[in-house]
Amino acid sequence: MVLLAHLLALGLYGLATALALAPYAGLRPPPRGLTLAVPLVGIVCHVVGVAQLTLIGVAPALSMLALFLMLLQVVSERVFRAGAVGVFTGPLATGLVSLAVLIGLAPGAAAAGRSAWSVLHITVSILGLAMLALAFIAAALYLLQFRELKAKRFGQVFRLFPPLERLDRLNHVALMIAFPTVTLGVLLGYGVRYAGGVPVDAAQVVWGTLTWMVLGWAVSVRVVRHWAGRRAAFASIAGFAAVLLVYLALKLAEPGTQRFL
Amino acid sequence: MSLAVVGVNHRTAPLEVRERFAHAAREVPASLERVLAAGAGGGVLLSTCNRTEFYLAEPGEEAPDAVWAILSERLGDGRSASAYGYFRRDRDAVRHLYRVSAGLESMILGESQIQGQVREAWEMSKSLAGPVLHRLFQSALLVGARVRSETGLAMGAASAASAAVAVAGKIFHQLAGRSALVLGAGDMAELAATCLASEGVRVTMVANRTYERAQAVAEELGARALTLDQAWEHFATADIVLSSTAAPHAVVTWERVAAAIERRGRRPLCILDVAVPRDVEPAVGRLENVFLYDIDDLQTVAAQATAERRKEIPAAEHIVTEEVDRFWTWYGGLAVVPVLKEFRGRLDQVRAQELERALKRLAHLAPEDRAQIEQFSHALLNKFLHQPTIALKQAAHVGRGYGLLEALKRLFGLEQRDGE
Repeated sequence: MVLLAHLLALGLYGLATALALAPYAGLRPPPRGLTLAVPLVGIVCHVVGVAQLTLIGVAPALSMLALFLMLLQVVSERVFRAGAVGVFTGPLATGLVSLAVLIGLAPGAAAAGRSAWSVLHITVSILGLAMLALAFIAAALYLLQFRELKAKRFGQVFRLFPPLERLDRLNHVALMIAFPTVTLGVLLGYGVRYAGGVPVDAAQVVWGTLTWMVLGWAVSVRVVRHWAGRRAAFASIAGFAAVLLVYLALKLAEPGTQRFL
Repeated sequence: MSLAVVGVNHRTAPLEVRERFAHAAREVPASLERVLAAGAGGGVLLSTCNRTEFYLAEPGEEAPDAVWAILSERLGDGRSASAYGYFRRDRDAVRHLYRVSAGLESMILGESQIQGQVREAWEMSKSLAGPVLHRLFQSALLVGARVRSETGLAMGAASAASAAVAVAGKIFHQLAGRSALVLGAGDMAELAATCLASEGVRVTMVANRTYERAQAVAEELGARALTLDQAWEHFATADIVLSSTAAPHAVVTWERVAAAIERRGRRPLCILDVAVPRDVEPAVGRLENVFLYDIDDLQTVAAQATAERRKEIPAAEHIVTEEVDRFWTWYGGLAVVPVLKEFRGRLDQVRAQELERALKRLAHLAPEDRAQIEQFSHALLNKFLHQPTIALKQAAHVGRGYGLLEALKRLFGLEQRDGE
């Protein structure tokens, strides 16, 4: 059932990706209802699959990250009319689910030792990470659109990407929500370790704390130093890249798919 | 019964001719009444800067001549307006109006302004239009709406003025509520400013070399008038600068505006330079968060949109053909009933005359026998009429009734009476 739900979600995410990319291939943009409905149905299937997972190892984390990315894609499209976000989130989520399925989702394995607080810590932390990824995507879209506008190129990016200010706002909102979410995730992590007595590796503490600090910096430069536009976009991209590179470095130091870090 | 369109448009007549044909709203009834008096059942006059077209229901032989006479009078110098125009009948006339309403006949392919102009023309001519043209114009508006919603014919910005709006719309989250500073008080500045204002942009200041001219345009746009020297400091506050002065060299130089732009912080500034020669020094566009576009850039945007729209022409034409067939089915059905009635009446008249003549020669017959003969004549007529009636009704149902009706009218001499 877990695999079937993931495969269904994978197929629908693939279709959603094709719909998001269609206008860039010169095809007529699909109806907005369809670009919302296909990922939404995929999300429903995915939720069914994720609900049965035991959150241990890399695969469930990747699956949950993909789920949140697709949710954020739908929200971005619905609230910000930023359908271009799907150009990044669609392939990313499809790739993450594929990777999770290839690694092996192992439903119900080693369920012992996972308290509700622990599940909440993981869920909130991954949601925060997905928000950080969304901020990165909005920043990348901003820089691409900025470059096209400055260079006076009026091609697909100019026509299909949202206006600069809207992308800047999406980046701002994503960061502002990501910061308290990751803060809560980190606090829950410390709670699980020190109050719950659950052993947590140093790598997880280092990475969690670094992510929180990077987000704090990205938010502070926006709020305190009033960075916006291109400079804020570069800050988001640098922050996300730092978080990703540190994760990869820590993972390379201690490889394996049975543990997230 | 028939329909016709008589007129001129941007493809058949140059601007200097078209502007003479253009009718103000108050002139429409008089011209229409004159054409109707020459012989037409109804009329609608569509007059825009790109076309002057008389749509006529049941036009007589003299009606097109009346149209050309009206237009020739406006042309003056003894010139004939018919040299610049066209005349289309029936299905071609319907197709023409549908293509006009869809924007397929427009100078800027797919532009939507024509839809409103078709509506205005219909509303202005309502009292003189008659039922068939009412139906025709109602359906033309639906065709325009269908083409715009079901195809990409109206996608993108296909004119320099709308390209200006499109470019600004890619910088700002929304244009409504943004403030614009207009430099120059020429026609192009006014046109582009009106285009921006229609999107909710507030034109707050108009600056010109001569203050009086700035004041005149500012009054029209509800803005404040400035001289050019007073305008530079407002680069710090305006969101959009629209420049179209007649200066022979760049008036917006880096030295004049850099300090004001610096005070903006991170807020983007969109400068639309629609002047030829250009008003804005290219160096200004290299400032961070300044987005500078000249007329060539805007025309590039417009050309790209036009190319995209051209791809949608077959889909739009398909809708037009579908709707022409639908209208013609209705129209054919509408025409069948009175013609059939007249056809039957005419043959019954012949039957009655011949019966009377025959009965005079058969005066010796008993009343019962005379009644039998009369009944026979009725039955014979009904038998003869049965097949043509069925064929006409069936043809009308599938939209081909009009051709058969024309044939019937010619064969049985109904045409003369129809024209009476």
